[in-house]
Amino acid sequence: MTMDTQTADIMDGAANSPRKVLVTGSSRGIGAAIAAAFAKSGADVAINFSKQGGRSEEHAKKLAAEIEAMGRRAALVPGDISQKESVRRLFSEAATSLDGLDVLILNAARAPFKPIERLLERELRALVDTNYIGNIFCVQEALPFMQCTGERTKGHDKHIIFISSLGSRFYNPAYPLGSMKAAMESVVRDLSETLFKRGITVNAVSGGLVKTDSFKVLRQFIDGVDRIPEELFVTPQEIADVVLFLCCPSSRGIRGQTIVVDRGLSNSLHRNA
Amino acid sequence: MRQTLISDDKVIEELKKAAAETLAIDVATIKADSSLVKDLGAESLDFLDINYRIEQTFAIKMARHFIIEHIEEMFGEGTALDTDGKLTEKAVNLMRIRLDTAVEGSTLEALKPGMDMDALPAMITIRSMAGSIMDILDTLPENCTECGKSAWKTENDTHIVCGACGAEAAYKNGDDLIKDWLQKTQDEHKII
Repeated sequence: MTMDTQTADIMDGAANSPRKVLVTGSSRGIGAAIAAAFAKSGADVAINFSKQGGRSEEHAKKLAAEIEAMGRRAALVPGDISQKESVRRLFSEAATSLDGLDVLILNAARAPFKPIERLLERELRALVDTNYIGNIFCVQEALPFMQCTGERTKGHDKHIIFISSLGSRFYNPAYPLGSMKAAMESVVRDLSETLFKRGITVNAVSGGLVKTDSFKVLRQFIDGVDRIPEELFVTPQEIADVVLFLCCPSSRGIRGQTIVVDRGLSNSLHRNA
Repeated sequence: MRQTLISDDKVIEELKKAAAETLAIDVATIKADSSLVKDLGAESLDFLDINYRIEQTFAIKMARHFIIEHIEEMFGEGTALDTDGKLTEKAVNLMRIRLDTAVEGSTLEALKPGMDMDALPAMITIRSMAGSIMDILDTLPENCTECGKSAWKTENDTHIVCGACGAEAAYKNGDDLIKDWLQKTQDEHKII
């Protein structure tokens, strides 16, 4: 199919009734690009960030203003996904503000950068609390708001998309988050089977190297990463485009998969310097 | 060795420049005693960005991990932070020694057991960070590790290179320096 038809799929959905989308960790970077892309396609969006009063909140407010300028609704829903009560509150606020929930994007992540064998117990538990348990809390709290009724059940237009990274399948120095991404890709396969019967499609998008804020961290721990050719860096928009594709009817045949968006970075074991 | 090719003032000047670029603020508004968090609005990712710029400027490797993390790795989990993530008395005593000359007295007084770890970055000033950079620069070896000569010179007033063979100076990295300091201080003061 052509890109035009894909865009039409998304826009048709929006024309019937605006889709309601929650993106965790969306004040900046990939999450913000996904939130903006959904708004551009005609969706109402809930923007989540963990800490109130900081720069993340400023970024989130700015993004909300941009979304509202597009004529869409934007809800700010602060909350730390590792805390069950916080997750419950943020989903309740999001669903109330948007009048329901059609799409959940699991993008929030937080992890120390150090080799796994050096992680302290506290760091190890925080790693799992946010990046595994926290994501599952989000799914659990989202489900009551993602009930399919009437026409919507037919279209299977409820989606959960997990944002993974190449760290799930390749070694990166000091990147324990990769193991959590791998675990979540497995969870995506599992949920895909159990939730499809309820009209919810579950997939993941694995981004390659992206020059977001997280790259500032990455370049301190992976020697030479800042010398990788510019053309191998994927943009947040390219990741957002694939996320949107996975949430439109044209992608109906894709279930429980992790789609790699890396401009071919992971195709080759060797590259000339 | 205590190197004299790059001055404290030069380090502070370059650090102000790096902070201004990262935080997109006017360099003239940054003072040596500005707190990066309280006065300039820096967040954790900003520290990494400033570190990166400084590393490019001086060809050094800044510490990747905060002193609290090193204390816990070296002396055991729970030695620096209690189960609620608050600073222990032992960690405070160590940090008071560490920061004694780098921060103002009032900042040092604010350092108390029970303090939240997240409150620590607010104590970092341009001057205290410059001190850490100078500590790394001061690990400049007497002689070039490539040719053995002692002919250090600066390029652009920031890069120290060997005047004989052109090799870049090899310094200790920031994390190793913190670990060395912790071991030495522990041996002297037996705090933990």
